[in-house]
Amino acid sequence: MHPWAWWVWALGLAVATTRTTNPLVVGLVLLAAVVVVLARREDTPWARAFRGYLLLAAAVLVMRVAFHVVVGIKGPGQVLLDLPRVPLPEWAVAVHLLGPVTVEGLLGAVYAGLRLAALVVCFGAANALANPKRALRALPAALHQIGTAVVIAMSVSPALVTSAGQVRRAQRLRGQEPRGPRGLVALAVPVLDDALDRSLALAASMDSRGYARAVRAGGDRRVAALLLVALLAAAVGSYGLLDATTPGWLGVPVLLAGAVAAVLGSLLAGRAVRRTRYRPDRWGVAETVVAASGVLAGTVLVAVTASDPALLEPSLHPLRWPALPPVVVLSVAAAVVPALLPGRPA
Amino acid sequence: MTWRSHGDGPPVNAARPPRVDALTLRPRTATALVLASLAGLLAFGWPLLVDPGTGLEHGLDAPLVLAVVLTAVVVVLAVALGEGGLDVKAVAMLGLLAAIGSVLRPLSAGTAGVELVFVVVVLGGRALGPGFGFALGATTIFSSALLTGGVGPWLPFQMLGAAWIGLGAGLLPRGIRGRGEVALLVAYGAAAGLAFGVAMNLSFWPFQVGPGTELSYVAGDPLGTNLARFATFTAATSLGWDVGRAVTTAVGLAVLSRPVLRGLRRVATRASFGPPVDARSPRPSTPSSLPTGRVAGR
Amino acid sequence: MIRFEHVGVTYPGSERPALRAVDVTVEEGALALVVGPTGSGKSTLLRAATGLVPHFTGGLLTGRVLVEGRDTRTHLPRDLADVVGVVVQDPARGFVTDTVEEELAYAMEQLAVPATVMRTRVEEVLDLLGLASLRRRALGDLSGGEQQRVAIGAVLTARPRVLVLDEPTSALDPGAAEDVLAALTRLVHDLGLTVLLAEHRLERVVQHADTVLHVRADGTVQQGDPDEVLAVASVAPPIVELGRLAGWSPLPLSVRDARRRARGLREGLDAGGGSSPTHVRSLPAPPAHAGDHAAPAALLRADDVHVQHGRVAAVRGVSLELHAGEVTALMGRNGAGKSSLLWALQGSGPRRRGTVRVAGRGEVAGDPSTMAPAEARRHVGLVPQDPDALLYLESVAAECAAGDRQAGAPAGTTARLLRGLVPEAAPDQDPRDLSEGQRLGLVLAIQLAAQPRVLLLDEPTRGLDYGAKRRLASHLVAHARAGGAVLLSTHDVEFVAVCAERVVLLAEGELVADGAARDVLVASPTFAPQVARIMHPHPVLTVDELRPSLEVGA
Repeated sequence: MHPWAWWVWALGLAVATTRTTNPLVVGLVLLAAVVVVLARREDTPWARAFRGYLLLAAAVLVMRVAFHVVVGIKGPGQVLLDLPRVPLPEWAVAVHLLGPVTVEGLLGAVYAGLRLAALVVCFGAANALANPKRALRALPAALHQIGTAVVIAMSVSPALVTSAGQVRRAQRLRGQEPRGPRGLVALAVPVLDDALDRSLALAASMDSRGYARAVRAGGDRRVAALLLVALLAAAVGSYGLLDATTPGWLGVPVLLAGAVAAVLGSLLAGRAVRRTRYRPDRWGVAETVVAASGVLAGTVLVAVTASDPALLEPSLHPLRWPALPPVVVLSVAAAVVPALLPGRPA
Repeated sequence: MTWRSHGDGPPVNAARPPRVDALTLRPRTATALVLASLAGLLAFGWPLLVDPGTGLEHGLDAPLVLAVVLTAVVVVLAVALGEGGLDVKAVAMLGLLAAIGSVLRPLSAGTAGVELVFVVVVLGGRALGPGFGFALGATTIFSSALLTGGVGPWLPFQMLGAAWIGLGAGLLPRGIRGRGEVALLVAYGAAAGLAFGVAMNLSFWPFQVGPGTELSYVAGDPLGTNLARFATFTAATSLGWDVGRAVTTAVGLAVLSRPVLRGLRRVATRASFGPPVDARSPRPSTPSSLPTGRVAGR
Repeated sequence: MIRFEHVGVTYPGSERPALRAVDVTVEEGALALVVGPTGSGKSTLLRAATGLVPHFTGGLLTGRVLVEGRDTRTHLPRDLADVVGVVVQDPARGFVTDTVEEELAYAMEQLAVPATVMRTRVEEVLDLLGLASLRRRALGDLSGGEQQRVAIGAVLTARPRVLVLDEPTSALDPGAAEDVLAALTRLVHDLGLTVLLAEHRLERVVQHADTVLHVRADGTVQQGDPDEVLAVASVAPPIVELGRLAGWSPLPLSVRDARRRARGLREGLDAGGGSSPTHVRSLPAPPAHAGDHAAPAALLRADDVHVQHGRVAAVRGVSLELHAGEVTALMGRNGAGKSSLLWALQGSGPRRRGTVRVAGRGEVAGDPSTMAPAEARRHVGLVPQDPDALLYLESVAAECAAGDRQAGAPAGTTARLLRGLVPEAAPDQDPRDLSEGQRLGLVLAIQLAAQPRVLLLDEPTRGLDYGAKRRLASHLVAHARAGGAVLLSTHDVEFVAVCAERVVLLAEGELVADGAARDVLVASPTFAPQVARIMHPHPVLTVDELRPSLEVGA
């Protein structure tokens, strides 16, 4: 599976979760992500990190609720737990702690926390499923150089761990205790020296194998100009988004214009890089299906919440069971399709 | 250090060690860094700046939109840094030092606040120049995220934060050497480690508490009020970690600065970024194909 | 197709040129061997042929170097990538990617070779070098010989006309080295590649060479036919030494030729039984061996030692005794468990089962693995494979001072030992500026400062030239004579022949042979030194043993 396919899928789901706090919808998205990860993950270090994401998601939820209970501004409602309000002394910026916990307030915190947890899990799913090494191979040509540095970092890091272990072991041979500042120096210096020597040897090897021959030196004025325009647009556009006094066109439209400039600049910069790819990952039907299933979920939720903002929003005043339109259920169910694709993950 | 005693440049003064720039910032790259940093400041500090009525003050929209913008900014910066060619030795060294950083990161993550990554980033920036420091900060965080599966909306914030630390280390006054240099780096490392934690917390603040608590940001409130709430939030949550990070960075720098800088400078000299062209050869190497790195003082 | 026209190279900061007035030509399809003592500029010569000097290392190049007609002054190394392939000493350090196939394709990707062409070339190279079964393997998991062949393959895919290799076999066991050299000669003979090769252990390659470039200590280079140059070169493999001593001309360079020439010598030994070589070992037998009835004192006794690394059983039930006054060589393939055994004997390495006992001064002191590291090293000292891992201070003097402190020895002990081992190392030098052999000497001095009676060395001869090896051998023998025991692991059979009286052979973690060096080495087809092969069936190991018979003959 092409790594970008998983990222598109996961970003689609992530967009879906940000559109609503409806716990049923968010719960379904979360479930879809977990099911697909369980079905498609391989035995890789990054796949094992998924557990960490689940724990992080749980922690996010718990923290959100804890913050509500401890420092939340409590509104009216059915009181669940009548805690006293404790004012902090004046020097602690006049914050009141605790206070009566209401069902509505607590549910509000749970809903918001659940949404954030689902977002975290969506990113965890992408991390678990997409092979980062293959993702690096599929980087656009404009990122050739920095990308190469990252490729090197990833491929030598196991050797560095080994080297650190060897140095530690060797230092003990001369009676050097591995503790304390002296031990740290005794460990760090040989590892670093070795790594730096290695970097020179690697550079020599890369250079004599034609690395950097692919890059047209000196750069392109047009590329530089486009990139600067893009960055300027990013700065101005962000400001426009945040400042209510600026005209509306200074926000999103400027950002979009900047994005166009960035893409053009990167394409131009990429054209200056002449290199080919050995056995590139192909984008086939399966990739399209995976990507489309995520995009579908995101699009449907964006469309539904845009057409009727109140439809999915769970009502807390009065408390009511959240609505769950069939079209939303179907679109989220489609996001599980990647779990059913034929063949073991490859 | 009279290693460049031949060729077209004057001999390097032994009293003033040569200024190494493994990744030269050309004016346009420097401009790109400044613009990107402005966008980055907005992305970090938006809860303190946002006005009511912009449609962004609620929900997850603002942080996510800004995370997307910041991701794009970081990508564009990477293109800008690479555009026009990097010295192959700088690329290889960037890769190796980033690998050291990414190996240190998971090792230190388990223990509260112990964070040695910035030691590498600060020393790399100090020895090899601001441009290299910037790239080192960003690539270190990125490769460690890839290695540990930690890619998410927080990544561009972390990358930019670490990149700033490396950039700042490269911009510290150059003339200071010996004990003074160690003291300078320790102070800088402690400040940078603390600032990084606070900045990360700032970007995470609206996510973590959401609206409607006494510690939430309130769009349109005076800067001071929001800052006070943020300070309380920080004190209540991550301050312990941030102080731990600052302390470990400072201690790491105090212990490792001298030997590590010695090693880095030694190799930087050996690598002679942007190799000298033989002065006596009839035709110089095609100038257009020369790497862009150079050693000042030529 | 390499031409040096009056080339001189001076590195920045050095007064003496590394190369001067070099005028040599390597014809197309030739295998040129670069020989010379350590630090003589062999690597500089190779790097000048690839454009790395001066573009990569800095330095001043005078004259010009032409490779396939391209002038290295105007062509950067990357511009030569399609004509020159460069293979460095430690291939793992030059790998950019992490699997075999991707590494093979890397150079072609940089040269923008079309995808379909890449596929076919990768397949060709996989077949040519016998790597097909390894294609998907991670580079880090390969053995040294396999890595070296991948490194060769990785430059071959760019279809260079010239291959430049800097000591490609120095880290390999004899079998793996043979594989790599066989692959190289096949490339020369079948594809007509030009090969420029530097090598310390000449005995392995000299018979394949078409021409020899002898880099002298002053930076000049002498080129000529192998037998002519080696007759006078400052470095010589045993076969050449024997030839020189016997006055053979032209010098035989292969064992086959030498055997023909040595017929008379062998017959002479048959006749004069009295001067049987056993009595003329270059080193007098240790006193402990003087009488069979006096059992030598065991300084270290290992019983049924097992070492496990993950799922791999590295050492399986090895029992071994090390005696006072004895130098023992530990031999075997790469990955046979030699290092694991040494570490387990020292006590710092893991040991799953079995016992190790060391003798203290007088009585049995106990198991080194239960002692504190500082105590264990007083009994058993180990010089690891990568001695650089022990060095971390800024000057030789600081390392020596730290060595004294760590060993609890009186101040100046390490420095005194170092003066005996490496007299030329200046106290204010950065250890990283020392040569490989000098750094080994420094680490040996640091370890000897703790006065261990048992001394273990893991691959100490890597990167040492003949002179440095001779010095090391005499120090090891001296340690044994003083009542110590030495166990060294090595692939270097010629070194073993000179300094060890006992050989222990390890295969797949098991001890398969343990006996007098002469018996074990002469009987082994892979481990027999050159002189043994020439003199077979006479059990002669070194040239020095033959010296008396030759002098009598002359």
